[in-house]
Amino acid sequence: MVPLEQLHLSHVLQAVSALESIVLRSFGPEGGQVLFTRDTGQVMVSRSGKRILTALHLDHPLARMVVRCVWKHSTITGDGSKTFVLLLASLLRIIHATATKDPHMFQPHNSTEASEAATARHLADRLLEFALTELDELIVLNVLPHGFRVSLENFTAETHDLSCQTLLVSFFRTRLGYAYCDFFRNLFCELLSHWKVKDDRPSFSIQFLNNSFLALHTQVSGVPVSCSRLIEGQVIHRDFATPCPQVRKQPLKAVVFNGYLQPKLLTTGDVLELRCGDKVTEDRGIVHFSSWTEKSVESIIATLQSFGVSVLLCALKQSSAVLAAATQAGMCLVECVSEEEISLFTQLSGVTPISDCRRIHPEHIATLTFCKPLLLGAHRYVHLDFHDCEERLKVKPCSLVICAPSEGQADQHACAFQDAFRMLLTALEPVRKTQTALEETIPSKKCTSLHADNISNGTACRVHLHQKCVTETGCVISAGGTFEFLLHHALHQYGHSCSVSVNTSAVVPVSQLLAKALLSVPRQIYSRNLKHFLQAQTRVVALIPKQPHALSANFIHTEGPLGDGKLSLCSCKNGNMSLKLLDLGLESVSCKYQLVLAVLQCLTNLLRINMVLQTHAVLHTESHDSLNAHSESSEGEDED
Amino acid sequence: MKELLKSSYGPTARLKQVHNNIGGAVVTTSTSSVLLQAISSSHPIVSLIKGSILNHVSRFSDCGLFASVFCLSLIEEAGRCDLSQNVIIRVNKHLLSLCTAHLQQEDCGCKVQLDFCSSQSLITLARSVISSKPTCVLSEPESAHISRLAVQAFLLTVPCNIPDKVRLGRTVTIPMEGHSVLESAVFPGLLLDTPENISLGNLCSPLRMVLFSASLAGDLSELGDGRIEVHQGVDTDSQIVDQLLELGKQVLKDEVKLFVCQKVIHPVLQHYLRCNGVIVIERLGISLMEPLIQLTGAQPVATLHTTVPWEAYGEVHVSVRPFGSKTKLHLHPAGKTTICTMILCHRNETMLSELKLVCQKTEHVLRLTLREPCALLGGGCTETHLAAYVRHQSKNDVSESSPVLGCSQTEYLLAGEAFCRSLESVATSLEHDDGASLIDLTHAHHWTLPSDATEEHLEDAAALCGCGVVQSCQNKKWSYLNTEYAEFSPEPLLTASPLQPTVLDSFTAKVNALEVAVETANLVLDVRYVIQDVN
Repeated sequence: MVPLEQLHLSHVLQAVSALESIVLRSFGPEGGQVLFTRDTGQVMVSRSGKRILTALHLDHPLARMVVRCVWKHSTITGDGSKTFVLLLASLLRIIHATATKDPHMFQPHNSTEASEAATARHLADRLLEFALTELDELIVLNVLPHGFRVSLENFTAETHDLSCQTLLVSFFRTRLGYAYCDFFRNLFCELLSHWKVKDDRPSFSIQFLNNSFLALHTQVSGVPVSCSRLIEGQVIHRDFATPCPQVRKQPLKAVVFNGYLQPKLLTTGDVLELRCGDKVTEDRGIVHFSSWTEKSVESIIATLQSFGVSVLLCALKQSSAVLAAATQAGMCLVECVSEEEISLFTQLSGVTPISDCRRIHPEHIATLTFCKPLLLGAHRYVHLDFHDCEERLKVKPCSLVICAPSEGQADQHACAFQDAFRMLLTALEPVRKTQTALEETIPSKKCTSLHADNISNGTACRVHLHQKCVTETGCVISAGGTFEFLLHHALHQYGHSCSVSVNTSAVVPVSQLLAKALLSVPRQIYSRNLKHFLQAQTRVVALIPKQPHALSANFIHTEGPLGDGKLSLCSCKNGNMSLKLLDLGLESVSCKYQLVLAVLQCLTNLLRINMVLQTHAVLHTESHDSLNAHSESSEGEDED
Repeated sequence: MKELLKSSYGPTARLKQVHNNIGGAVVTTSTSSVLLQAISSSHPIVSLIKGSILNHVSRFSDCGLFASVFCLSLIEEAGRCDLSQNVIIRVNKHLLSLCTAHLQQEDCGCKVQLDFCSSQSLITLARSVISSKPTCVLSEPESAHISRLAVQAFLLTVPCNIPDKVRLGRTVTIPMEGHSVLESAVFPGLLLDTPENISLGNLCSPLRMVLFSASLAGDLSELGDGRIEVHQGVDTDSQIVDQLLELGKQVLKDEVKLFVCQKVIHPVLQHYLRCNGVIVIERLGISLMEPLIQLTGAQPVATLHTTVPWEAYGEVHVSVRPFGSKTKLHLHPAGKTTICTMILCHRNETMLSELKLVCQKTEHVLRLTLREPCALLGGGCTETHLAAYVRHQSKNDVSESSPVLGCSQTEYLLAGEAFCRSLESVATSLEHDDGASLIDLTHAHHWTLPSDATEEHLEDAAALCGCGVVQSCQNKKWSYLNTEYAEFSPEPLLTASPLQPTVLDSFTAKVNALEVAVETANLVLDVRYVIQDVN
């Protein structure tokens, strides 16, 4: 009765491949921007995979599911959305190939398609299981030794950590292209150093910036990008509703209002009865009412004046009587301030908004050093700064002005900034669960991930080292596919040792599948030139044999207070191979790790579906033919 | 699109007529903001460029066509030279920073310091803005007159005694159709439409005035969403009118002689006030409120029920000024003011609206000079000068710059050449009558040559360069633009130049236009593919 669409593996593959072809052109160092236009004339420019995919408005249910997964992943990590699609597509392709080649390896089925699907599902489940249990350990053992550590502890304006800067540059390069990556990196570092809370964890301030970014930045269009800058204090994206007085005594006092200053006499549902001969309203009738409201406004303004308040920030639009009363009292009033800005203001000033106008207390009153109009582009905003913020919160509040010739570009830059916060947050997270996983797995099957010729005393020393490593945060590795090459190599080794030890050749080692799929990412990075791909691979793999030495050498450096000078020193010692890789920039290991996990989760979800149910609310009782015709949603729609 | 915009560039530009397919108004223009808004292109790249340029124009009011022509020729040249986009983008960005650094230098050859003591250079600047818009159909004395007026109005809005914060005044423009352009004038103060048959005979100046921002029509707006039940026998209307008359009585008692309201005044109150010899002006409109407040010092009153506070009253001188068929009430303040009114006259509506636009732009451009008191040489000379400079510099620093930018030396030179050619093509597009564009090889200024002149008569034909600073003389070497010539470093002009430049461009606007053009071109070059949402 219900229209069904049997879902085959090839359908899933087709849908994901269509998505892959979309993101591919903006992938990698040679990738470019994608331009979106709407019929309304809006133009959006983006290199972010997340924005490209969400802007597509896809019809295909599977594609939409993938996009939702990508969206979720990149909202958390701020990075890796294009790699997500690439990796997913190549995993699907490999699973598809394995399943068609060997459909009955798992269990007999009546149709080939069903058995194919079952095999694929089984493989995906095992992949996920493998990744959840073994992957973190593999990464710690085989990838982290080649990485560097980023710390934001000594993040002051003068001495930036080199590796952190490189990380940011490579991030902005993938988002904004070569032209502005250095410029925005500097701006970002400056912003971060301004907001850094003294003697507190850097991730705390990044979290704060991430949460209040909407209120913290201002987009200006029509001005070159190089005019982007930081300005002290907070910008409220509204203009003064009353003329701003010229000269004022410093500092100023300000209050925040959540409601209306003028009491609403009649709310919806209330009825005002005007009777003749009534004793109460007889004298002036209706006029009495409106004069009463005006009187109450005057009394509020008088109370505020007694406190010396001269700036009113209101969340709602106020009546003209209120505006006139404020003007006469010489107060500047700002209406319709957004919720985010009010919350940022209250956080920075430490006051609470006034909800009941009749009760105003000193704790409602904030002190500002200045409050003046600020002309940015076409708009006039309110620019204010807090009086004693540096003593109270130990930060120097400042807002970001992002300039670009067109709105679409400014928006793109703002998004890149927001994602950079997320990416840094993820990068600073330690690779979780690793410590416990190590302690459990190493004693039982200690040789799983090591070379067969590796001896046990080496292992013991290694475990010690690695446990130190997991407590560290912010591990980064050179970009350009290094992570993928290393993990590929590790998985390959692992699979090899697994098949030898377990000796069940019937089961396809899932680690081999993952290893193969991982290689597709660097293959795309060097898609223009196959020679470069091979060169890069040999370069990375060449690092691996001398692993024991390189490993310890690296760890000595990472444990010490790693300065920027030592970083380059360390890579010099390893031969100039990693130095060369450093040109490509850095990327965060924990972002990559989460990416692989998210892809595998998405894959499992995708393959567990075996049917698509198209429900039509309106056409429910109509003939099935039309419905079936409709449910044949084609992949071609993805590329409209 | 490039051809379209190119032909609209400069003072001898061709006009464009824009009309849409559903029979809307026909607009004749060569102004970039109007022109670009009218183009509804189906091509997304064009709309991207359009958006950038329009944003620039809305900030700086000038150099929109320069930016668009330059941006388009950059893209065109990039397509012509066979280089990877990433290389072109990086080189463009590098050369742009070279240009802006050169322009910011004190001794830059194409920069002129503006002197606020004499209005001559300001008038020249205003005039180059006005004369670059041929739709206004202004004759030579007319455009001179308008430029003078624009500068006069601008100077009136600059306050004399400057406090710590400069606050510019406002110029209110009143268009008047059917008069000669030369009748346009600038007055300090405000001109308001007068109510019929007004007599000022028995009024002594200055007058006390009151300004209402609330509606005095007798409606109740601020009560909320509730329902009002009116029982029989209650006459709310008369209660409100009584209240209004009460207000009128108080105002009369305070000897107010001018009663202005932003919105409508109830006829009963109007009549009552008129009978008592008060000048009543209603429906002033929100746009005139701010200048009027600045002019008179009155504070707008928004409440009806409380007594009008004494501080809310303002004082103003009033006189009646006949202007054509209309009479206007001229309000001018007791002291100095930064508010002035500009009356613009022209023969028909199209020309008048373009003239009004041009005057607003001129005002904006003049205001920009306050921020950066200098101007650039116009007439294409800045472009040719920059091109020569960039060519020279890029040849010199090729060995240092190319490794930094990650490209080979040849690539760097090729991309640099494309950049210079685009700059020159902007200068070339100033000429629309098949004339040739030339560059002299000492100062790198731009010269145009009528099509009928030949190489031999070069010195006679082109007596002055595009901006009018350099005079033609015998020993100069010339080269046609768009032809190869040996690179050279443009010589700075002698400081005691005998000639005043006749064409000037706004510095701030031009530098911004340059940056916007390059950034937009870079963005367009970086676009790999386009997705069009047709939903």
